[in-house]
Amino acid sequence: MFRPFVMIAMAAWLAIAALPATADAQSFGRAVRIVVPYAPGGSSDILARLIAPKLQEAIGQAVVVENKPGGSGNIGADAVAKAPKDGHTLLLLDVGTLALAPSLFPDLTFDPQKDLAPVGMIMFAPYVLAVSPQVPAKSIAELVAFAKANPGKLAVANSGIGGMNHVTPIRVAKALGIEWKNVPYRGGAAATRAVVAGESQVIFNGVSATLPFVKNGQLVGLAVSGPARLPAVPDVPTFDEAKLPAGDAGTWQGLMVTAGSPPELVARLDAELRKILAMPDIAGKIADLGGTVKADGPAAFKSWFADNVRTLGEVVRENGIKGE
Amino acid sequence: MAERRRGDLRDLLFGGFLIAVAGFTAAATWSLRVGTAANMGPGYMPRVVAALVLAFGLFFVIRGAVAAFHPIAPPQPRGVVFILAAVAAFALLVTTAGLMIAAVATIVIAGFASRETRPLETVLFGGAMAVGAVLLFVQALKLPVPIWPW
Amino acid sequence: MDLFGNLALGLATAVQPVNLLYCLIGVVIGTAIGVLPGIGPIPTVALLLPFTFGLDPTSAFILLAGIFYGAQYGGSTTAILVNVPGETSSVVTCLDGHEMAQQGRAGPALAIAAISSFYAGTIATLVICLLSVPLSALALKFTAVEYFSLLVLGLLAAVVLAHGSVMKALAMVLLGLLLGLIGIDVSSGAARMTFGIAELGDGIDFVPVAMGLFGLAEIMANLERPPVRQVVSQKVRDLVPSVADLKAAFPAMTRGTLIGSILGVLPGGGAALPPFTAYAIEKKVSKNKAMFGHGAIEGVAAPEAANNAGAQTSFIPLLTLGIPANALMALMIGALMMHGIQPGPQIMSEQPQLVWGVIASMWVGNLMLLIINLPLVGIWVSMLKIPYRLLFPAIALLCCIGTYGIANSVFNIWLMLGCALVGYLFIKVGAEPAPLLLGLVLGPQLEENFRRAMLLSDGDVAVFVQRPISAGLLAVAALLILVLMSPTVFRKRKEALAE
Repeated sequence: MFRPFVMIAMAAWLAIAALPATADAQSFGRAVRIVVPYAPGGSSDILARLIAPKLQEAIGQAVVVENKPGGSGNIGADAVAKAPKDGHTLLLLDVGTLALAPSLFPDLTFDPQKDLAPVGMIMFAPYVLAVSPQVPAKSIAELVAFAKANPGKLAVANSGIGGMNHVTPIRVAKALGIEWKNVPYRGGAAATRAVVAGESQVIFNGVSATLPFVKNGQLVGLAVSGPARLPAVPDVPTFDEAKLPAGDAGTWQGLMVTAGSPPELVARLDAELRKILAMPDIAGKIADLGGTVKADGPAAFKSWFADNVRTLGEVVRENGIKGE
Repeated sequence: MAERRRGDLRDLLFGGFLIAVAGFTAAATWSLRVGTAANMGPGYMPRVVAALVLAFGLFFVIRGAVAAFHPIAPPQPRGVVFILAAVAAFALLVTTAGLMIAAVATIVIAGFASRETRPLETVLFGGAMAVGAVLLFVQALKLPVPIWPW
Repeated sequence: MDLFGNLALGLATAVQPVNLLYCLIGVVIGTAIGVLPGIGPIPTVALLLPFTFGLDPTSAFILLAGIFYGAQYGGSTTAILVNVPGETSSVVTCLDGHEMAQQGRAGPALAIAAISSFYAGTIATLVICLLSVPLSALALKFTAVEYFSLLVLGLLAAVVLAHGSVMKALAMVLLGLLLGLIGIDVSSGAARMTFGIAELGDGIDFVPVAMGLFGLAEIMANLERPPVRQVVSQKVRDLVPSVADLKAAFPAMTRGTLIGSILGVLPGGGAALPPFTAYAIEKKVSKNKAMFGHGAIEGVAAPEAANNAGAQTSFIPLLTLGIPANALMALMIGALMMHGIQPGPQIMSEQPQLVWGVIASMWVGNLMLLIINLPLVGIWVSMLKIPYRLLFPAIALLCCIGTYGIANSVFNIWLMLGCALVGYLFIKVGAEPAPLLLGLVLGPQLEENFRRAMLLSDGDVAVFVQRPISAGLLAVAALLILVLMSPTVFRKRKEALAE
């Protein structure tokens, strides 16, 4: 009675054993992991879980999302940096934060530019600069005037040390010639709550988290980052129009792989990623997250990353920001 | 028995533990910036709390020293050693040898902790638990852990 | 729309067959993961999120919410049966629940936990309907100053948890605070006491510490005792709570519900405060204080009610302000966004069917949980008939897998091992671990809010007494210290220790 079972098992084993033989250089030999270096539920996690089933369909291998939270994402990134160089371990994360890591953490256990290789950018979600309605400012000029008249009165809420969201207010304050207190919170939601409650007064945060409060009047939007104004709030100028630095500040999500992986596989991943990001349902979900699709491949990613490591590193050094 | 012996061993031991923890914390956080009240550094809280722990440690040591003699139940190493060994085996095996082997090893080693354990029963039970754990945690709950060493 | 219109709309939505089905699936999954230590609702919800994209947003949200409050139910089962708290909220349930189980009263303990949760769920649903708007205003009144004072009060109340010495309990709270300091400091980014171990960067996880101090240390201590442990009664009479049990539990669950409903609304308060506070208050007002820690049924009823009520009212800030009160609610926001619904202050007026449907489904789900769980009590209790020589290795294995599972980290297993050893020492010297766990959970928030308050006030300590809510909380805390330190209390405790 065990016979059929044994036969099936043998057949299955043979089929699996035969796979690598028929595989060409662009095929994946076994399950692919997407490491998300944060706890479940953030944008990176949602993106990974959106992309994984599509990628699984495309490459014919299981694609598993694995959350490896900790150390501002550095623990998960380190794990991918040290994974076998076979293109089967991917990293999906906020690459802006990763670009800050080398200058903020001198003891970083890996080099994001040497130990990790880009596959492609996935999405960009701009920031909204918003203030509490208690601040009598409806424009950047009025905000500057208020800050100069009331030194030390304004507090800007950030979502934690070491993120784009922490460095951007420092750059902006420097450019505007004003001073405000940088008050760290545990995550963007806590920071938003603090500004809505009037505990802090200024916030730079993602569109989807901030705009509902702007529409509702509980926050006043003063500027948006990114290349163009947002259709939802057409009266709010862009950072560039308002003469603010950090015009491309925001959340950049990208896909990376262990450096030294076979170029054929990276090329295949790039091609599949572009196809997936072009699917209307994926693009729609990304729009719901407040972002726009950025599918421009490894080369553009690489130069973006190098630029940001440099500029953000300068900001960190000039302002003496430290991971202590 | 020893009518002149003094000291509550429970308090003395706990107090000593607290003092050790306080000293260790102070040493580990001494280089951190303390800062000012308006802008506290990361070293502020560790120092305050370590000082309080030290105070409590001294309190217990003194209270224990002046109190009447009170022993602690003598530790029996068998249970402690094998439970810790079982956990250590799991930690060493789970990502290398896979959940199957790690689970069986944990159950079997833990079994040595008790005199009542029956070897064959424990091995069989370990095998059943391992299969159950794989089905539940790896298959149903997608815990990312290897099942086998290969 | 008035209250009845809202409720009618909600109920009509919740009892649609498809929504009933998803509610059932949600609470069943929730109960299952609650029972398994280490596998919490957050990874489960994240895992299921992609599968809900095909559903109607209301059904999806009903399913996900069901997992959340179902898990609150299941957690108490493991705590009562094997003394392994899988999450912060079930630590308190261990204290008297496991004690009851050891006295052969696991059945009544489990049943009371289920009944208390249902009762609290029912009241909390009404609270959300009637009071969500004023309560959300309260949530916005709580700034760093008020949080700090609330946390001070909560930590002092933890001292009441232990039934041994006040001084030892205070020392344990401080040890918990020290453990909580480990990791990257949120306010400065400095690494504290991480010794170059990357896994320590985000601080010490609660689960390995709790499982080491409770589950494993308890096994080691048990193995040293003479083998007369399990007294499992076969009689049905001992499976159901008696009338006297219900009479004793009822006022406790009412008070617990009230406390949980209020504390649950405060964002960032976390799952720890409601059950701990409810237990502490119950121990103070109860007529049979002496029973606490020795299997008092009120000690199960009050925290279970508070926990469930708090879990439910933690939806209020999300539904009225669009602000998540905890990590799971943040995940829910992600879920809403993936369904194309913009969470925010306008959600109640723009999506009445979703909001009221989910609220009504919570009550329906709680009813389902009661119906599912009461018959399960017999099955759970019969698990205790497994001989201890097999039960304890199984618990050890479950602790290992659960601890690994929370962050897929082997380091956490080693951490649990260390905590087990320290927990064994604590048992030897008669120091109880519950206050330490509260210190560990609340410590980082205490420091964070203190430093934030001082930063915003330019170092002026007076803010803590100038703001009325904060001043009131600190006054209660001061009163508590006076009561604790008063000589009569000392004498009573000495008497209790002497016996």
